[in-house]
Amino acid sequence: MNSSDAVREGLIALLPRLRRLARALAGQVADADDLVQVVLERALARCAQWRPDGALDKWVFAIARNAWRDELRARGRAQHLFAPEEAGETVADGGAAHPAQQLELAQALAMLPPDHREVVALVLVEGLSYDEAAALLELPVGTVTSRLARARAALQAHLGSDA
Amino acid sequence: MNPIDDETLQAYVDGELDAAARARIDAATAQDTALALRVQRALALRAQLRAAFDPVLDEPVPARLSALLQPAVRPAAAVEPFTVRAGGRGATPASHRAPRRWLVAGAALAASLAVLAAGLWWRQAGGGLVRMHDGEPYAAGVLSRALDQSLASEPDTHAAIAIGLSFRAADGHICRSFTVRTPPARAGLACHDATGWSLPVLGPAAPSEGGELRQAGSALPPAVQAAIDARLRGNVFDAQQERAARAAGWR
Repeated sequence: MNSSDAVREGLIALLPRLRRLARALAGQVADADDLVQVVLERALARCAQWRPDGALDKWVFAIARNAWRDELRARGRAQHLFAPEEAGETVADGGAAHPAQQLELAQALAMLPPDHREVVALVLVEGLSYDEAAALLELPVGTVTSRLARARAALQAHLGSDA
Repeated sequence: MNPIDDETLQAYVDGELDAAARARIDAATAQDTALALRVQRALALRAQLRAAFDPVLDEPVPARLSALLQPAVRPAAAVEPFTVRAGGRGATPASHRAPRRWLVAGAALAASLAVLAAGLWWRQAGGGLVRMHDGEPYAAGVLSRALDQSLASEPDTHAAIAIGLSFRAADGHICRSFTVRTPPARAGLACHDATGWSLPVLGPAAPSEGGELRQAGSALPPAVQAAIDARLRGNVFDAQQERAARAAGWR
């Protein structure tokens, strides 16, 4: 099996998690899946760079994060992806047990600056350790934890005392 | 007792503390209801995020995404020049992009076969212009040197390798088209990565009407042209950019 087949098979298995991460980064379903498409294309194009002894998920998530940064730059607005009132269709479209709570959460996430939101997505949604997130973001662990703490405080402030 | 700061508390909630530090917080929460409430709130936020995004794991994957991961039909040892069209913006509708991929599928197979054939030929001929790395062909020998050193803006008509276009591909790598003048003539595209000059496309070059090879870049085989089109974003390098790219090691 050559590296491109290995990457292709790994990506198939990784696709649900990649979509979840993209949703947490991008918010809206269409934006998130467009992001996933870009990530898949980039990962396949660069599969020669992936070392089989490395973790494919971290490698792909790093591509996702960078692709999302590229997208934000291209949009020319680094702060707010969309106005909070547009955020309703963001989080999981079906099966939300508490739509009002989901809407609040989507709005709160949309208010976060991108470098806070990506830490939330990687650590709280994807479940990476602080060390793993720091390595992926090429940041000191202390920067990751302080961003995470500030993001948490902002989310909790927005969500009120029930969260 | 020292107050527990937010970062320590979140490390506790996120399972990042060692056993001793965790035990200290465990003990503290038992005594301190305000601290226990902070822990509760942090846990609740995490749970809320998981509840919001975990359902994505069970959603059906859109066909346009899974289609990207279908293996291309190709000979086992060859590269797959066009299964990936690098770049593209997230905002571009997929329906607009998808058909192109399949239009070039036939060309991809043809190019793959050409690469395989060319690679075999070169190995048989001992030309040493191609080496394999992880099953992917890379430029070697005089081809690698020409890609590293030669400038299209300073052509050497006697050189075995003529460089055509240079540009930065959508995926960020610098690619250069080239023609091998020594028979049997070949043309291809090389893209620089950490390993060297990968060769996504390599095929026979058509002689021009006069029997001589045209200037590289002007008569590229369709497979090479398609590979360039698939990767090109922005402009091809002018002489100054080409020189600057060489000075920067094609990174």
